[in-house]
Amino acid sequence: MQRYVMDNNKNTNVQDFQIRDDLISTLKNRFTTYGYKQVRTSTFESYDMYSNLIGTVNKDEMIKVIDTSGKVLVLRPDVTIPLNRMTTLNGLNTDNQRLFYVLDVFRQSPEQMDQKESTQAGVECFGDHSAETDSEIIMMAIHTLKDIGFRNFKLEIGHAGFFKELIQQTKLTEQELDALQSLIQSKNLAEMGPFLTQLDIEEDVRTAIQSIPMMYGNPEHVIEQAKSIIRNDSMEAILQNLIEINELLKAYGAENSVLFNLGLINNMNYYSGVIFQGFVDSIGKPVVMGGRYDNLGEQFDHSIPAIGFAFEVDLLIHAMQQQGLTNTQPLTADIIIRYPKEKQTDALRSAYFLRDHGYQVLTYSVEKTEEVNVEGKNIADFSVSHNTLYKQNMKETFSKPEELLSLLKKEEK
Amino acid sequence: MQPITLALAKGRPAKSTIELLEKTGEHFIDLHEDSRKLVFYNKDKSIKVIFVKALDVPTYVEKGAADIGIVGKDNIMESQADVYELLDLKIGKCKFSVAGKPDHPIKNNQKLTIATKYPNVAKKHFLKKGQPIETVKLNGSVELAPIIGLSDYIVDIVETGSTLKENGLVVLEDIEKISTRLIVNKASFATKAAEVQQFINQLKLAME
Repeated sequence: MQRYVMDNNKNTNVQDFQIRDDLISTLKNRFTTYGYKQVRTSTFESYDMYSNLIGTVNKDEMIKVIDTSGKVLVLRPDVTIPLNRMTTLNGLNTDNQRLFYVLDVFRQSPEQMDQKESTQAGVECFGDHSAETDSEIIMMAIHTLKDIGFRNFKLEIGHAGFFKELIQQTKLTEQELDALQSLIQSKNLAEMGPFLTQLDIEEDVRTAIQSIPMMYGNPEHVIEQAKSIIRNDSMEAILQNLIEINELLKAYGAENSVLFNLGLINNMNYYSGVIFQGFVDSIGKPVVMGGRYDNLGEQFDHSIPAIGFAFEVDLLIHAMQQQGLTNTQPLTADIIIRYPKEKQTDALRSAYFLRDHGYQVLTYSVEKTEEVNVEGKNIADFSVSHNTLYKQNMKETFSKPEELLSLLKKEEK
Repeated sequence: MQPITLALAKGRPAKSTIELLEKTGEHFIDLHEDSRKLVFYNKDKSIKVIFVKALDVPTYVEKGAADIGIVGKDNIMESQADVYELLDLKIGKCKFSVAGKPDHPIKNNQKLTIATKYPNVAKKHFLKKGQPIETVKLNGSVELAPIIGLSDYIVDIVETGSTLKENGLVVLEDIEKISTRLIVNKASFATKAAEVQQFINQLKLAME
């Protein structure tokens, strides 16, 4: 017999689900307090839409399906793009639309064949492009990380435009640009120097690019450093935007949770403004990523300013388990009712009555079940002569469901 | 201060790395290249050193099991780990090369079979040249492959070239220079900034 061990979704038992569900409610609660409303997008998306969008999801990573008419669909590889399209196409009142979602996304890669689905919990804010919105979104990510209980975490903030502006002053080929990006992303100064020397770039621009990876750390410090490589008005504006965001984050009292990293380059090419990613102890990948993407809508004929982020729920759970931040409640019922045949009616009525009052009740007929394997906080034994409630060291008799309820309530105090 | 974990490669490169570590002024108890122990601490236990297989160092660092790693560029390239590569320690210098029989120049436009311990490096190199290849992953004695006809060429690290010579092979093409690098986990660089930075500075001083 063939054995099927495709338990890909690691967290499939009851306790794991509880941890996941608790985490998701923590996230949802926090998003709600910032005025966000939950939405969902379709599981199936058009393959053509994604393949026409430049610099988004790698085509090979998408999981394709073909419907009966022969149309190629993909399983939702991300949420930001469909949400953006939904908002732009609906022509909704896009002023300050605040949306959040908790949805599964599907991607495949040869390196991780057994991990095709993951859960993202994210927010998108449409219709406003002020530094106030930027910092509020970043603050919301920090706030959420605090809620989960991470003691040591940092949010790295950069700007997608800064590097793009510098690159526009050079004439690099696509391959050269790719190579340069990966050198910057790995802060590989040792190889960057020789690589830049062999390219045809103005001396000033070269020095500026060379200094980008190490513009990292304390925001004020990085801002000072960045001033020295400003080359035009748009770079000046970008820096001004970052200064404002930093001031606003200080107003929120979040200065200990943020770092600036101008060498931050997101592989999702649609970002146009501030970008950020959050790290927690001992997890090499960012648990949250986000940024501003004002021009994505252009590809749907109508662009609106937008900013958002997404938490990787599976990665968060992994981090929480590693740092002992998960507490599961024991899987016990509030009360177990045992009854003989003669008392069936009484027992089942009591069970209904207690459930109606929100108690978790399990019932067993003494004739059919020899031994009860489930632990309960309380046990109610029905018998022909009298009914008894056992709780810890206490033992009380009762006759009516109302009495049982009041006994249970009394003991809770 | 939080303790940091440092992953080092077992085997050949360990000796020069240990020498460099000693120069930083941190003394690690019992640490020497022949030791069978896999975990070491410095005096105040602020640095933990673990020894792992060279190719696993980038993985340990990428996943956050170690904050910092010291390992050859060859292994970083092969593992394709997403880490910061902050320092070239300028030790363990060698290069990646394509080698084969001397009367066998590299032909184009024909699918080649390449035997190597580093299939990712080989694929990337030939992809850049637009040359289709098939890789045969071997774990050692790679030089044997072209001699007995298992492959057309090999991709391997070349230090002095004497192993190639003794087996009648020559370097046909160089791919990239290699040396020992310091890599850092991206999360640790953010969450343990002070500790990581201090260690890097100590190491920089020791290199001078």
